[in-house]
Amino acid sequence: MRLVRVAAAASLVAGLALAGATTAQGALAPADDAAAYTQTKHLTRSITVDGQEVEVDARDVTVTASRTTDLRGRERIDIAWTGAHPTGGRAASPFGEQGLAQEYPVVILQCRGTDDPALPLEQQLRPETCWTSTRMQRSQSVEESSAVWRSDRHANDYERAQKSGLVPLPPECGDTETFSTRTTAFVAANGTVYPSCTAETMAPEAAVGAAFPPAEMAAFSDLAGAGSVKFEVRSAVENESLGCSDKVACSIVVIPIEGISCIDDNQACSAGGQFEPGASNFANQGVDAAVSPLLWWSASNWRNRFSIPITFGLAPDACDVLDPRAPTGFYGSELLAQAALQWSPAYCLNKKRFKFQHNKMSDEAGFNLMETGGGAAALVSGLHEPKGTDPVAYAPVAVTGFSVGYIIDRPDNAGEFTDLRLNARLLAKLMTQSYLGSERARTHEGMGANPVSINLDPEFQHLNPGLDAIGREAAATVLSLSESSDVITTLTSYIAQDEDAMAFVNGKRDPWGMSVNPSYEKIKLPTAEWPLLDDFVAPSEQECYLQNPSPYFTQVAAPVSSLRKIAEAVLDAWPNVQTKCERSLATDPWKIGRIDRQGVGTRMMLGLVSVGDARRFGLREAELATRRGTFVGPTDGGMAAALRVAEPSKSGDEPFALDMADVIKAENAYPGTMVVYAAARTHGMSKADAEKVSSFVKLATTEGQRFGYGNGDLPEGFLPLKAAGSTGPLFRQAQSVATSIEKQDGTVDDGSDGTDTGDGTETTGETGPPTGPGSVTNVEPPEPEPVPTVDAEGTGKPTKVKPTKTPEPGPVAMPDTEPVSSALAGELLPVLLGIAVLGALATSLLRLGLNRRGLS
Amino acid sequence: MTAVAQRPTTRPSAPTAPPTAARQGLDVVSTTATMLALVATWAAVQMLFLGGLSQQREQSALYDQFRGELAAATAPMGPVTPLGDPVALLSIAHIGLEQVVIEGTASSDLLDGPGHLRNTVLPGQVGTAVVMGRAKTYGAPFGQIADLRPTDTIRVVTAQGPKQFSVIGVRRAGDPLPQPRPEGAARLVLVSAEGSGRFADLSPGEVVYVDAQARKGFPTPAGLPTAVPDSEHPMGTEQGALPLLALCLGLLLAMTLAVMAARQRWSAATVWVITTPVVIALAWQTTDVVMRLLPNLL
Repeated sequence: MRLVRVAAAASLVAGLALAGATTAQGALAPADDAAAYTQTKHLTRSITVDGQEVEVDARDVTVTASRTTDLRGRERIDIAWTGAHPTGGRAASPFGEQGLAQEYPVVILQCRGTDDPALPLEQQLRPETCWTSTRMQRSQSVEESSAVWRSDRHANDYERAQKSGLVPLPPECGDTETFSTRTTAFVAANGTVYPSCTAETMAPEAAVGAAFPPAEMAAFSDLAGAGSVKFEVRSAVENESLGCSDKVACSIVVIPIEGISCIDDNQACSAGGQFEPGASNFANQGVDAAVSPLLWWSASNWRNRFSIPITFGLAPDACDVLDPRAPTGFYGSELLAQAALQWSPAYCLNKKRFKFQHNKMSDEAGFNLMETGGGAAALVSGLHEPKGTDPVAYAPVAVTGFSVGYIIDRPDNAGEFTDLRLNARLLAKLMTQSYLGSERARTHEGMGANPVSINLDPEFQHLNPGLDAIGREAAATVLSLSESSDVITTLTSYIAQDEDAMAFVNGKRDPWGMSVNPSYEKIKLPTAEWPLLDDFVAPSEQECYLQNPSPYFTQVAAPVSSLRKIAEAVLDAWPNVQTKCERSLATDPWKIGRIDRQGVGTRMMLGLVSVGDARRFGLREAELATRRGTFVGPTDGGMAAALRVAEPSKSGDEPFALDMADVIKAENAYPGTMVVYAAARTHGMSKADAEKVSSFVKLATTEGQRFGYGNGDLPEGFLPLKAAGSTGPLFRQAQSVATSIEKQDGTVDDGSDGTDTGDGTETTGETGPPTGPGSVTNVEPPEPEPVPTVDAEGTGKPTKVKPTKTPEPGPVAMPDTEPVSSALAGELLPVLLGIAVLGALATSLLRLGLNRRGLS
Repeated sequence: MTAVAQRPTTRPSAPTAPPTAARQGLDVVSTTATMLALVATWAAVQMLFLGGLSQQREQSALYDQFRGELAAATAPMGPVTPLGDPVALLSIAHIGLEQVVIEGTASSDLLDGPGHLRNTVLPGQVGTAVVMGRAKTYGAPFGQIADLRPTDTIRVVTAQGPKQFSVIGVRRAGDPLPQPRPEGAARLVLVSAEGSGRFADLSPGEVVYVDAQARKGFPTPAGLPTAVPDSEHPMGTEQGALPLLALCLGLLLAMTLAVMAARQRWSAATVWVITTPVVIALAWQTTDVVMRLLPNLL
């Protein structure tokens, strides 16, 4: 399936005429033809016994890679191999330094340059351009007897010398004269040479506690010699020293460690390993250097490399750098982020098109901005209540959704857990903070008997057998969004439609006796923004917690503001739980911060991610329960099935009604499916903006729906909109709305709008707000019945007073002025004066009468 | 007041001639009528004449302020201006009108001069601006706008510069709205009230509009509010002033009691001299508050 799509994408890329595309883009196109990399090599190892060369091992290793072109920073690609030597002494974590104590692993590195002897040296792949995050992986300084690389049959004399690699060594290396030393310096993209013999002489990105965890790995092969990993590539944005970008070619180097071939009978060199194949090395015991990943740079290992050339897509800021025009902002849903990343260069690099810019913000804020004219269009996934008077139409531009991304390790170093299943009640438990997180929360009122984390919940264990039972704070929550989003609306409506989940939320215990966190009991669902309601401060004797009393469950949940941050947290297995106590000095006050990254082998965290991000980063996504016993993942099929139950709106320009109950009933439909709409006003927009939005919708739904990874293509995680099939109605709505936006033929009708002082309205600037109908209509406040008139453009549709866009040639039949009057205002003054006169008269007469009587 | 006016020396004479019940009743009626006449006269006089004085004073202060702001280029350009700030200078030669337009059209705002409806563009900007003014009371700035004739000139000076509008026509209930505004044009709608029938000059109960247009408007800033409270619509009243009115009336009552107490100690002349300004100030203030409860175009 993927091959077919990739091939299709390749042919499309070739056909995609992008005027103004950079040469880099042109260079990428041919590479697409060989998108998936496959290569087989015959690897051998020979040792010397009594002066005779004896071949001890020979294997045919095949390495494949899922994707090699148009990669983006932090994207993970699948690399698989067969035929390698089975790994012994498996480490729990294959990454960086932690993977060094293994025997016969497969080392995977990202290196700058390509494996082509014809290229100039600086564009060639060398061990010096391969990235590692510690100096242990680059430099060795040991006694001569252990220096197995000096017995390497395939090395030259220079490499077998006592001091090799970087010679002479700079003084800061503090080299011991009598030791055998090999230093593989790192050459950065800008030419700087980092000796890499001590932690201080490494490239800056390799600093301890660097922003990104190590990506290079020494992965294990199973007993049959096969293995597979997801390898994360880094672009110049993440690793400037490595410097891979759309301009700088790079490679992924896969080195199945076969063992050093020896030229003499050095015992250490001939060693064949201490661990049984398949055994684990949890104690981090020493391994035989000759078969360890430590010496990946030695000639015997380096010659066995598979170098997979990779190309990077344009950096996310490419449009800002390459196109000086002012961008046209589309504001809203982050679900579109991965598609927009690939779409925007197709706009900004083409002088005939406008400069498209996707700005992530909450759907509601984006919609408001569009309504006030601050943004050309909003990107939303649901119907939003208009606050202005201009009509708004919704054009579907992408079908995607959210998913629950996770990283969970199976116990006993058995690899990652790959088929997580969740149901609505489990999600409700996570969202309502009903897991305790730790024993500290045991005293929380009303839920003291609840499990500490989800993996201790019998319901979860029943659905996902075979996981460990270690309580973790990170597994008591699903990392979620702090701000309002249509994603939260969809997620909570999934919970809301489930009877069991709602019974739980409303206070009924689940069959295993777990009860909802009382702070969230009877919370109203669905909701667009998940509130943090629990203010329980966990009791503690620890000085740190006493100094920083704060609501415990809020610290555990710690929602963040963007889906991308959640995706990266899951990618790094770095929960956002804020309960770690730290202080730099014993005299400093304690502060509370984010807990450490989880160690490989015992990782368990869940996060709410967009399907686009999940596919880009290669995150695993949970399957969600639909009808009893059925679980559906965010596959193309699952999304298409959901669209089949979506109902178009009556007006034809509003979002499709994707009723969660219908989706669940459809059984094979993915509940997290969401359609992203470009919402724009169909009246009152400036002509230029209207044309831009309209052309965006038209391009996004045609050219932008072709699967691929190049500029303008639709990445994985999105169901392409097609004119036929289940996406047909969406496609047709998009086309008709695009026309409507371009023509700005919407009719204004809002309830408060009665008559008008006869003003046609018009926006005034590029993005100016409508100054019209809302303004003058309010001059006549008494709520009159709308005055039906035939609108000026003669469509025959009865509308209320319609401000016309352009002056009509002939006089327009205008409605009458509504009467406004006030009896009070009309009669006050005469009455006042009347009273004054009457009072005065009455007084004078009475006085006169009284006085007279008094006198008499 | 009559009670106050009676000399205390007349009191001892009371027991000599015990008042009859009828006499007492007549006394109450007479006093009530006097009070009514006084209150009504005061209110009418302040609305029609004294209010004009205070309005003129406010206008003069606003004019100075606006002139300064124009010179310093700090005059407001919208879309949101603090209530009561001067936003434009409006002059209509035909009816001899020159007024500083302030922001806001609630009853209290219009005491100081014509007000600009807050959810419309400023006069002169592209779009339709609405300016309301009182028809009969507090200087009656818009008392004569119904006399305007088509092609009369209305001059407006704002932060963005001067602009000449040409009157399209006067419009009353039932008249058709003017033709749609051409693109790029600025329109100005003056709103006030007029009376009909026998006391036409004193009963401004019907809203009257004057439409005027300038062919090319100034640019309009974005972000105009979409709605204003009901009190700022034509003939709107500010119910929120009721508590303040209660306070004013309470103060008046307290003042009356204080006058009666003072009369026990001091001579009438002293009391008159001391209390008259206070009473007048209080009465003035009370009438101002009452105005807020009355329709804003009155």
